[in-house]
Amino acid sequence: MEATHDVLVVGAGLAGMRAAIEAHDLGADVALISKIHPVRSHSGAAEGGINAALGNASDDDPEKHAYDTVKGSDYLGDQDAIEILCNEAPGDVYQLEHWGAIFSRTEDGRIAQRPFGAAGEPRTAYAADITGHVLIHVLYEQVMKRDLRTYEEFFAWKLVIDDDRCQGVIAWDLLNGGLKTIGAKTVIIATGGAGRLYQGTTNAYACTGDGMTMALRVGVPLKDMEMMQFHPTTLSPTGVLITEGTRGEGAYLLNSEGERFLKRYAPNAMELASRDVISRAEQTEIDEGRGVDGSVLLDLRHLGAEKILERLHGTRELAMTFALVDPIHEPIPVRPGAHYHMGGIDTDVDGKTELEGLYAAGECACVSVHGANRLGGNALMETITYGKRSGAVAADWALTHTTVAVPPSVESDAQRELKTLLDRSDGERPWRIRDELAKTMHENFGVFRREKQMKEQEQIVGYLRERYESVVVEDKGEVFNNDLTQALELGFLLELADCMLVSGLARKESRGAHARPYDYPERDDENYLKHTIVRWIGGRPVLDWKPVTISKWQPEERKY
Amino acid sequence: MKVAYYKGCLASLSAKELDSSTQALAPKLDIELDELDAVTCCGAGDIHEAEPDYYLHLNARILAYGAETGADTLMTICNVCTLNLRQANWQLKNDDELRERVNKNLQTVGVPAYDGNIEVKHFLWLIAEGDGYERLKQVAHKGLKGLKVAPFYGCQILRPSKLLGFEDPDKPHSLEAIIDACGGEAIDYPAKIKCCGFPIIQAREDTALGELLQPIEQATEAGADAMVTPCPLCHLSLDAWQSKLRERTGRDFHMPILHLSQLIGVAAGLEDSELKFKRHVVSVQPVLDKLEV
Amino acid sequence: MDVALKIWRVDGETGERELKTYEVEAPEWACLLDVLDIIKDRHDGTLAYRKSCRMMICGSCGMRMDGRAILACKERMKPIVERGHVPVISSMGNLPIVKDLVVSMDPFWDKIRAIKPWLDPGYDEAPERERIVSQKEMNVIAKESLCIMCGCCVSECNAMEADPDFRGPAALAKEMRFVGDARDQDDVPRLNTVNDEHGVWDCTRCYFCNERCPKGVDPRDAIAKLGAESIKQGIDHDLGAKHARWFVISSKTTGWLRETELVPKTQGILGALKETKFAIALARRGKVPPPGPVHVAAEVDEARALYDLVKSQGRDGALGIVQGERGLARIEHVEAEGAHRDVPEVTPGETPPPAEG
Repeated sequence: MEATHDVLVVGAGLAGMRAAIEAHDLGADVALISKIHPVRSHSGAAEGGINAALGNASDDDPEKHAYDTVKGSDYLGDQDAIEILCNEAPGDVYQLEHWGAIFSRTEDGRIAQRPFGAAGEPRTAYAADITGHVLIHVLYEQVMKRDLRTYEEFFAWKLVIDDDRCQGVIAWDLLNGGLKTIGAKTVIIATGGAGRLYQGTTNAYACTGDGMTMALRVGVPLKDMEMMQFHPTTLSPTGVLITEGTRGEGAYLLNSEGERFLKRYAPNAMELASRDVISRAEQTEIDEGRGVDGSVLLDLRHLGAEKILERLHGTRELAMTFALVDPIHEPIPVRPGAHYHMGGIDTDVDGKTELEGLYAAGECACVSVHGANRLGGNALMETITYGKRSGAVAADWALTHTTVAVPPSVESDAQRELKTLLDRSDGERPWRIRDELAKTMHENFGVFRREKQMKEQEQIVGYLRERYESVVVEDKGEVFNNDLTQALELGFLLELADCMLVSGLARKESRGAHARPYDYPERDDENYLKHTIVRWIGGRPVLDWKPVTISKWQPEERKY
Repeated sequence: MKVAYYKGCLASLSAKELDSSTQALAPKLDIELDELDAVTCCGAGDIHEAEPDYYLHLNARILAYGAETGADTLMTICNVCTLNLRQANWQLKNDDELRERVNKNLQTVGVPAYDGNIEVKHFLWLIAEGDGYERLKQVAHKGLKGLKVAPFYGCQILRPSKLLGFEDPDKPHSLEAIIDACGGEAIDYPAKIKCCGFPIIQAREDTALGELLQPIEQATEAGADAMVTPCPLCHLSLDAWQSKLRERTGRDFHMPILHLSQLIGVAAGLEDSELKFKRHVVSVQPVLDKLEV
Repeated sequence: MDVALKIWRVDGETGERELKTYEVEAPEWACLLDVLDIIKDRHDGTLAYRKSCRMMICGSCGMRMDGRAILACKERMKPIVERGHVPVISSMGNLPIVKDLVVSMDPFWDKIRAIKPWLDPGYDEAPERERIVSQKEMNVIAKESLCIMCGCCVSECNAMEADPDFRGPAALAKEMRFVGDARDQDDVPRLNTVNDEHGVWDCTRCYFCNERCPKGVDPRDAIAKLGAESIKQGIDHDLGAKHARWFVISSKTTGWLRETELVPKTQGILGALKETKFAIALARRGKVPPPGPVHVAAEVDEARALYDLVKSQGRDGALGIVQGERGLARIEHVEAEGAHRDVPEVTPGETPPPAEG
């Protein structure tokens, strides 16, 4: 064993770092493990902002924030978890500011807040359009201040289970090579989402759902896996994100006829409707022939150069580099892209999973705060609030328990598995399987879903999983072998795809991001006001259900 | 064309040879120099750092007096002056509030206001613009007789390219084209766009010499007969500090360093009194011998 | 389109290097990173490089193309292919190579950690709400806050090549992010830290960092801001600071730089004596004008008056450094007349960088 710690955090994005900081400040011996350097984490790509009812831009309060979130979730969100988020959010944002987070300011020097999709009040605090970047750096600064041990470029592969407890992680040391075991009294998974399942995604290459599958494989249930949010404004064909902040600042969405088509879908909120509503609207426009080369147009021209250069300079840089348009002079072609996974590891409001010693926070977790659809700005808030909460709870548990036990067989089993993979020279390179998976998921499990296509996709994924059994890693070396880790990532993705399809087929209604306009166009609260649960049993996802916690708000019709 | 001529500190004092050769060469290239005398040092990176607001005003003053001559162009003969003046010019042209404040200050001390109506260009650019090379072939009638010349651009005539932008900062070729047009052979080597170390040659001599070694060594090994540079500060490093480089490395460097105006000047048949080669620390005699001058 | 690349492969175990050529087919919209992916996926799985976001925000994919540091995800291949150019790809400079295009970022992060890279607000108990700071105050560090820690500036730093212990543009820009932050209490100790032997006065002002930074941070300007703040706070013990101050005095008294006095004024009498032999050699050539009748610029009293006037207006220190606050300086490019952009084949960087320790 390499070492043991009180709390081991897998994934060093916003949720992971926030959890580690909290656990450390409560006296635990903490370590972070990350397959990329912490500041490379995809939290840094978030642009638009972080939601909290600070009340700096209008008369706002946590209850309004909670209601917007509950409604936004299409009533699938657990209301106790949502209330906690909205109540703790303001304090958590102030904490970030005290640590030095750079926020854009109002006239009187307070944290500025802008309007965002499906929010009744302007409550999205922001730093121009690089909010994620600013937050990831402030948290890493605090990590450096505390000199937190970080296993940098360690690829976490398996959870160590003994005595019905999670006891650590087995990882591949990417820089030096070799499997290393790190023991821990508690493990917090904060590995983010799995956008790489899709061809057009805002997600980084690193977003392959590692932690979700690691948990799944040791019997921990995943929740609401079918709920993948498609962000309405991504570039084609790569999926690079164009922030919702553009619409928060007043940008328009136009079809090929120059029409602000949202007046036919969300006449009140228009461009500030909920993301799933807008993605569906765009997809419909494109499918019905009113798109421009498979995209619609995001028009910023009327905002003026001054505003764009001051508040949306990141967006402008992205548009100019990847879409070859200057938004000061031309509209940006955008289309829906896979962006955020509402589903994930089933946790309670403290980030605890079913497995003793195992916690989860951030995008990889499903508390559920976002239900069937996430509001823009709530993800960043979730990483901070639930990162903090899980860090606190994990530290507390770790400080009151003493033993860590890693059975020797665990490491030798893993070594054997790895050897089999590395020894193989006859087979298929991962890229074909990866690209086919991404393409078919995009076609058959995208914004709109149909029974026939989902069933077909299940077959395709099954077939791809078979082919994966003979995947070949060309690089047999020890030093910086990301050919190996990329092959392992594909394995993670394939199992998640299976879970998503099983859940998607089971939910016979349209709710939030799960849109089935052809077979089940309506929301069915009577039968489906519940979470899908999948467990990995006998190499397959097995479906179950879990009730939604309702505290204050009864489901209503959801219109924007 | 008529230009406002800003010669800068070194050309006034330790690099008088640069001024004399420039003043002799310019008329041959149909450039009439209207020398500015009510001007000061541009401040280099030093005043920019020590008293940044003062640096801005000093440069605004130079620009104002330059514009007062009625010329479109303020001609510089030093990389550092070029960057400083172009930076100040860019800031004043693009920020109305800033320009207003600076002009108020200028006028308070008796300097005319500056309206952003002059362009700062290095002598090198004026020569290289348009059909400059063709005209050059005629002017440089004596030719360089195949002299192998390694061009040294230095830093501040290339970077930051957003302020300079005359040519590709990574693949400049104006000096090579000039060497060619004058009948010489341009020698290529990687360190031609790197730093000579001058800004820190007093405060951090070791570091500076570590930098200086690269162009001198590479040009020597590539078989150059001489080096040419458009910056008198680089010239000081390359020429005057070469002895220190010899001391430090034990290598017997003897690389003659020419100012741009001298290189063209000698090919154009300028007088000894105009070229003032005797002012160089590293003897230029081997070059003169090769050119049979 | 058909893309050809040359990549400097470096063996992860032995350190042996080899220049290999690759020819692949890539889509028209491909960036360098996409081409590397195609090579790794379909041709040579052993090619090692870092990547993550592919949208210029994570800072993973710093590497050199034709000897100059870039983000692989930002470089479009189409213009290069259309020019018929075959670029040479190598790892970033000034950092030890791990394998192929992967460098060890340890020295980079060590230097970041050495400048105390966290806010010191001067209190332990945080007030209930946010501290009041104006947007104008926050704009002082707008550029420094853009830094994604990619290492492109460090890769190209000329001073760091000659002095590997130079703190470097990234660490110094990060220091400025705190010095310029109105909420940080710690200015003087911070400035003292970076006024050391390998600090701000070690910067050679080559502007490579400004040129290479893919985000428009302009680290050289951040270093200038630190220098300005240092001098404003009276921290001027360094020879570099003395040198800078002497320029100011020169300009105010005679208008032109009085080089003769530069050495004794900055390095002191003893320092000047050490340089005597050197100085005499220079003096013989007239490179160091003899002390005597001083060359005074015309109307130099205007400069003196300007100095007094400007000082009274108090735009001292970092505030005096105007950066052009508008947006991304890299994209707002000043195109001078007669700019030559299409250039013949001169490829610095084809020779590999010298083997580093």
